Amino acid sequence: MIRSIAWKNVWRNRNRSLVVIIAVTLGIISGVLLVGIMKGWVEQRLNDAIFNEVSHLQIHNSEFINNEEIDFTIDDLSGTTGALEALPDVSGWVRRTKMVAMANTPWATTGVIIYGIDPGREKGVTEIWKKIVPGAGDYLDQQRDGEILISDKTAEILKLKHYIITGDVIRELEKENLPDNILSGLSGLKDVRFRSPKDFRDALRDEFNKKELDRYGLLITDKALDYRLRNRVLITISDDRGTPVQGTFRVCGIFKTTNTGFDQRTVYVNRDDLADLYGGQEVLSHEIAVMLNDINDAGDVKDKLSGISSVNSVRTWKELAPDAAMMNDYMIMYYFIFIGIIMLALAFGIINTMLMAILERTRELGMLMAIGMNRKRIFSMIMLETIFLTMTGAVTGMVAGWGITKALGKTGIHFSGWGEGFEAMGFAARVYPVITLDFFVFTTLLVIVTAIISSIWPARKALKLNPVEALRTE
Amino acid sequence: MKVLELKDVHKIYNSTEVKVHAVNSVTLDFDEGEFAAIVGPSGSGKTTLLNLIGGLDMPTSGEINIDQTDLSKLKSSQLIDFRMRNIGFVFQSYNLIPVLSAKENVEFIMLLQKWSREDREKRTFELLKAVGLSDRTNSRPSKMSGGQQQRVAVARALASRPKFVLADEPTANLDSKSATTLLEIMEKLNLEEKITFIFSTHDPRVMKMARRIITLEDGRVVSDELRDQSKAD
Repeated sequence: MIRSIAWKNVWRNRNRSLVVIIAVTLGIISGVLLVGIMKGWVEQRLNDAIFNEVSHLQIHNSEFINNEEIDFTIDDLSGTTGALEALPDVSGWVRRTKMVAMANTPWATTGVIIYGIDPGREKGVTEIWKKIVPGAGDYLDQQRDGEILISDKTAEILKLKHYIITGDVIRELEKENLPDNILSGLSGLKDVRFRSPKDFRDALRDEFNKKELDRYGLLITDKALDYRLRNRVLITISDDRGTPVQGTFRVCGIFKTTNTGFDQRTVYVNRDDLADLYGGQEVLSHEIAVMLNDINDAGDVKDKLSGISSVNSVRTWKELAPDAAMMNDYMIMYYFIFIGIIMLALAFGIINTMLMAILERTRELGMLMAIGMNRKRIFSMIMLETIFLTMTGAVTGMVAGWGITKALGKTGIHFSGWGEGFEAMGFAARVYPVITLDFFVFTTLLVIVTAIISSIWPARKALKLNPVEALRTE
Repeated sequence: MKVLELKDVHKIYNSTEVKVHAVNSVTLDFDEGEFAAIVGPSGSGKTTLLNLIGGLDMPTSGEINIDQTDLSKLKSSQLIDFRMRNIGFVFQSYNLIPVLSAKENVEFIMLLQKWSREDREKRTFELLKAVGLSDRTNSRPSKMSGGQQQRVAVARALASRPKFVLADEPTANLDSKSATTLLEIMEKLNLEEKITFIFSTHDPRVMKMARRIITLEDGRVVSDELRDQSKAD
């Protein structure tokens, strides 16, 4: 009966309750979405760090970490690789040659880290092969000599990336049903080559208004993008005597991860081609990247591998990508901060509403006390009423938040305005919000706790009523 | 058999300037099945006396015994429970729970006392029939007239078979016809259920029907008049 009265009381002042319910609903939706975006970003950053950049573990010669010189190769390579083959926790590993290099084109120069890899084996450990920009060449092929895989950012720096509105581009845009005025505007830019995204954006800005750019800018930029594939890149490295040696590689493909910092400094070639360049008799191994079946075993496997050679240094992904590790570890704190702020704001609204309700029902509460409803029951009734009021909004908010997050989890949210800034920090410009069941369980508990805490003040106020005085209230 | 005894009861309110002796040396007792009215001018102490009898307020001095239990000896929580089990209340402005139907309002006290569903439904049906509202069981108070609401309040007050019912100006907000109907119903239930009814009232219709009239002036009992007892017998 107390439950029934509490539920019915929620709907006595329908408009006021609806305002609170809508506020709670909107608060929870924003909380779900914010946490979903944060979690999506953290997961994306963590996955990208592990699958594109650092893997679960890396092994180097300790000296190489401080001074990336050609001679500091992995100690006891056969013992180390033998141990990796024998460990059941290891799902894959790959060894690489890693050197500091200078990359040149006729138009620009940049410093890079060149990796000599076994392209086939690398596919079992990293996902760079999945990051080839559509229509921008292919991944490295062991059978083809003298090829180099560079990133979109490196291509931009080396002026191997440009934007050009060709006849083909206009025809493709026609198929996308762009309005005639946009197409005719583009014909004014036809066959003009823009060597940086900024120049191209400026040209579009001169041609179109902001609304048109917001609507079609990304699509036009995407279609107009072109790379100078098969172009030569001159790579300069130091051989084992410190003498600069040079070799020419042809661009076979362009990759793009969400981390422009990583992209900018990374190029890949076949390890045999790199060995030919530095003139070694054998392929040097400076780095071994290891993938595990379970990320949580990284510490244990590190301990096992560390015993093989005291010269080598084994580092886990947490040491190699401390930013991603920190975000992952602090995710729960972000969650508490976001939801905590939302709950605090909601608590004030709920307390205010319940105090109003108590004030309006003073005489009724006096009557209930007079006819024998004890303090415990009065307290329970008000607490239940607060919980029902809050939970109605919370459940609505969680269902709506779940739906919105799921939908956005498929399409993603593109932060076009801040994309470059995000990618410079290793975050994707398009984030796919992620929400898990434990979040909902935890949020539900937090909402109930908030409702209980919010009900204490109004309930105490009700308990302090003197039935005789309360019954006199008009 | 005595259901209620007041021995030299005083109630003094201490305002900042003057002490108000709202109830002054009142000694009374009530037997089972009485139909009594406490009358007197405004400010004579009727409502205060009713609040003291109902355990809603504590006397400054004196003793109030209900069925041989001294109210002053009960702790606050025990007093609430005691009220629930022994006293029925009818208020001037009905004071039904607006979100509950007539049936649920009547059942409410029985639910608090954890009556079985079967007993509850039987008693509720019996009482709503007795007050002439068996066709309005599912109506909420807002859909009923003042007279009908007060009849539900009477049914609620009697639901758990209390020792007595206190009715504070029960007809004050009712039109003449509704008031007469209500009084007839209360008298009938008083006779059938042998439950004592104590009214505070100004209403001559109540006074006419009461079998005992206690008159208060300045908090003192100035007369205690027994009338025709033939109906009670």
